[in-house]
Amino acid sequence: MKSVEIKSCNSRFHKNIGKYAVSLSDSCFHCGLCVEICPYCVFERKDGFNHVLAPNSAGCLGPECKEGPYYCTTKCPVDAIKIELDPQWKTLGDFRWTPDLIITTWQQAETGEIPRGNLEYRMGASGGGFDIFDFTADGLTDMSSSEIDNIITSDKISTSICLNRRGEGASIEIPVPWYGAGMSFGSISLPSMLARAHSAKAWNTFTSTGEGGYPDELIPYSNHVITQIATGLFGVSEETIKRAPIIEFKYAQGAKPGLGGHLLGDKNTPGVARMREAVPWNSLFSPFPFHSVYSVEDHKKHIDWVKSINPDALISVKVSTPSDVDMVAVGSYYAGTNIINLDGGYGGTGAAPEIAKKNIAMPIEYAVTKVHKFLVEEGVREEIVLLASGGIRTALDIAKSIALGADGAIIGTSDLVALGCVRCGNCESGRGCPRGIATTDPELEKQIDYLWGAQRITNLYASWQKQLKLLLYKLGLKDIKELRGRTDFLRRIDEK
Amino acid sequence: MYKRYHIETSPVELSTTKIGKFEIIRNDACLNCGRCMTHCIYDVHERDSDDPRIMSDPVNHLCKNCFSCIQNCPYHALEMVMNKEFEKLGNTYWTPQIIHTIWNEAEEGKIPVFGAGYRGRFRGSGFDDIWTDMSEIVRPTRDGIHGREYIATSVDLGRKLAWISDFRRLNLPNSYEIQIPMLFDTNPLGLNSKSIFLSIIKAAHKLGTFAFLDIENYVNELKPYLKSIALRCSLDKITNLDQSPWKEVNFIEIVLTRKFSISELERALKKLKSENRTALISLALTDFSLSKGIFKQFMEARADILNFHADNHGQSFEGNIFICDSIRKLQLDLVKQRMRGEVTILAKGGIAAAEHLPKIIICGADAAVLDLSLLVAAGCRVCKACKLDDCPAEIEKLDPEIAEQRIINMICAWRDQLLEILSAMGIRDVRRLRGEKGRAMFYEEIERESFEFILKQKETAK
Repeated sequence: MKSVEIKSCNSRFHKNIGKYAVSLSDSCFHCGLCVEICPYCVFERKDGFNHVLAPNSAGCLGPECKEGPYYCTTKCPVDAIKIELDPQWKTLGDFRWTPDLIITTWQQAETGEIPRGNLEYRMGASGGGFDIFDFTADGLTDMSSSEIDNIITSDKISTSICLNRRGEGASIEIPVPWYGAGMSFGSISLPSMLARAHSAKAWNTFTSTGEGGYPDELIPYSNHVITQIATGLFGVSEETIKRAPIIEFKYAQGAKPGLGGHLLGDKNTPGVARMREAVPWNSLFSPFPFHSVYSVEDHKKHIDWVKSINPDALISVKVSTPSDVDMVAVGSYYAGTNIINLDGGYGGTGAAPEIAKKNIAMPIEYAVTKVHKFLVEEGVREEIVLLASGGIRTALDIAKSIALGADGAIIGTSDLVALGCVRCGNCESGRGCPRGIATTDPELEKQIDYLWGAQRITNLYASWQKQLKLLLYKLGLKDIKELRGRTDFLRRIDEK
Repeated sequence: MYKRYHIETSPVELSTTKIGKFEIIRNDACLNCGRCMTHCIYDVHERDSDDPRIMSDPVNHLCKNCFSCIQNCPYHALEMVMNKEFEKLGNTYWTPQIIHTIWNEAEEGKIPVFGAGYRGRFRGSGFDDIWTDMSEIVRPTRDGIHGREYIATSVDLGRKLAWISDFRRLNLPNSYEIQIPMLFDTNPLGLNSKSIFLSIIKAAHKLGTFAFLDIENYVNELKPYLKSIALRCSLDKITNLDQSPWKEVNFIEIVLTRKFSISELERALKKLKSENRTALISLALTDFSLSKGIFKQFMEARADILNFHADNHGQSFEGNIFICDSIRKLQLDLVKQRMRGEVTILAKGGIAAAEHLPKIIICGADAAVLDLSLLVAAGCRVCKACKLDDCPAEIEKLDPEIAEQRIINMICAWRDQLLEILSAMGIRDVRRLRGEKGRAMFYEEIERESFEFILKQKETAK
């Protein structure tokens, strides 16, 4: 595989958000010493000017810097520099996506490197599931940077997975154990979709159309775009099925299991409506469930129907996680599915009732374990690909879901965070996302240049692959496939 | 003509509930360039109407935490902090988030819908340790609140016969059907405010359910709504049973005193039943550690309903047992004794959010009694010490019609969310959800089942 181009890709905003607030008091006489010593560009003085600019706090490492040679506060001749925890930090993020995770995801999207600061980039703070597990061996602390570089660049550790494990049909391998989740045109903007597709192409992996049709702009990326068929059948046609190497049946979505899809009227702009063959400015509901599928046999009928249109396509089935999800998975296997995508309850969404997000269906951590175990007992585990989604935020989450029994993962929200999402949760109504990501407002969506966005996602993926390679090295493994089901590599960190 | 049960909502704003989560601070570096105004799509930033050269103070309650103004400000002049007023709301159980959600529901009457995934903790205690189930593909389900097929949320209150021994002398106990599995309590904080009683009782009346009212608080003004009132009195204070309003109500609740004797209870029930033949009689229990045998005695004394009272945090008054656990235990006891079908069980205390309703029903209750949440709908902030004359929400001065409509709005939102949960499960009648433990996942069980490898690792380590 040709190597993926990683290049630095800065934030599109004037001001970045950081954990610490750096301020200069009135006693500063603009000697410029801080500009010279700080290597993180917190202080800047424009050429030919006297005054030091207002500090760029986002670059500051905070108290951690104290140990090193660059600590400005003690070096300042007039004690004018003050570093404190930014009260703004508390307003960012939540338990699942902590401010640390959001900022470090942004950092990875900018640089393509594993974050080196003191922010927690590996897990959230939700107090359960992925967040109470760690690997028995991990961390970079005891390795020299040249050693790390060797492992990262080496080809000896493989992170690729195969998406077809049946004896027949197309053989598709992706170099990283993840691909992009379905996000429809309508829930996100066209530039966001293009950015995801462009980056999927660069990484030779996939992204999915979601249930909102297949915009013509995506055709150049068709080898890397999955066509989703969901219950509303919005934008599904013979051409879009023929075009795709993988067809995804969406039965339910983790964030709103059993409730179908929901696009509020405000976001159904004329462009979206045209694509969905609907009336503009009306709320669009995808029903639940497929009203033609009430059994495994009905499900097989659907698969046969797709196979008769596109015999080469692999079939993926996206289901959420009820208590009988293991039976659903086995049923899908017998219907001829290649990939089972379990979408856990804590996953992302463009719009969902709050009550559904926490309460309906189980988190992905439980479902993966349960389904993997059941498929092994049924003797069919080696013929099917099990992918986890719904609450996978970091490279470590991917690794943990693999250790719990999945083959790989499917990524949604992290892609959007790479594009600059702060997870404010206002994607659903009005003009949509004020940051131009999950919107169809022609003015707001201009905020994203798709090539810039593609580079950001590409960079994030690069950092993730490096983390996975390091982890595998630390665990003494050579291939991500060896990690599957190895729960013995996991330990609980919430109890001693 | 057949008519579907429908709750009429209308948006009601309340100025005392305009407390945003965030506060935007504009510092001295601001040059009034107006860039924030272009980037904010929620109208937080506007120019001063008197002097358009300057920006007016940000309208904080409209802010939705998108950081657009902050990150696009060329002079780093804006920052966001948590709104202290917001953080001061409520307490550890009635969290600011819970209060905020109820306010929104009471204002709009709609299901809260947001983008992006779940934001909270993986699990919590009590209700947050339960996940409800859904059906994937094989069982036919409905389209939730948008569905063409009706999902029933009505429940029956009253006693049922275990079997019929003699058809010739069929003497069926009286029962009432309410259209929502929710009853109201008029006075969760002991406020003794007439206007609050009136708004809660009127809301109950309109919605076709019952509101509990202590007999001391009964006034003649409430007479038109007698059929929707559940009169409550403690066992040792029942007097003058032959007078109004005792004779006219459909529902009477007796609060059992700490040391009651069963014979005293039997006497009182007998007297009540002879004075008012049609009223349902409910026993309010505050002690969850009652011995199993006592339920049988309650039912032999012909109580129709058992209503378990917990405090506002859902904890039992004795022994700190959470209401889910008590109801689950009670359900199991009654099922084992083959008596569950004969009696109605209500649960009161700690029902603070829409999801608590299906969960308490799954644990075994027929319906829930809402208390503090009704006051919150009317603007209550669940302060640490509650004083009616010093209420920041000015609850008593509130127009009872506004409070009534806000309560109705909240109930509509809660019922719609109940429908969502039922439709996800493929259940068409809330009565079928009662005690259906198999349609829920409980943290302890599922955690053990999924992560048993950790336990095994520990054992081998030993």
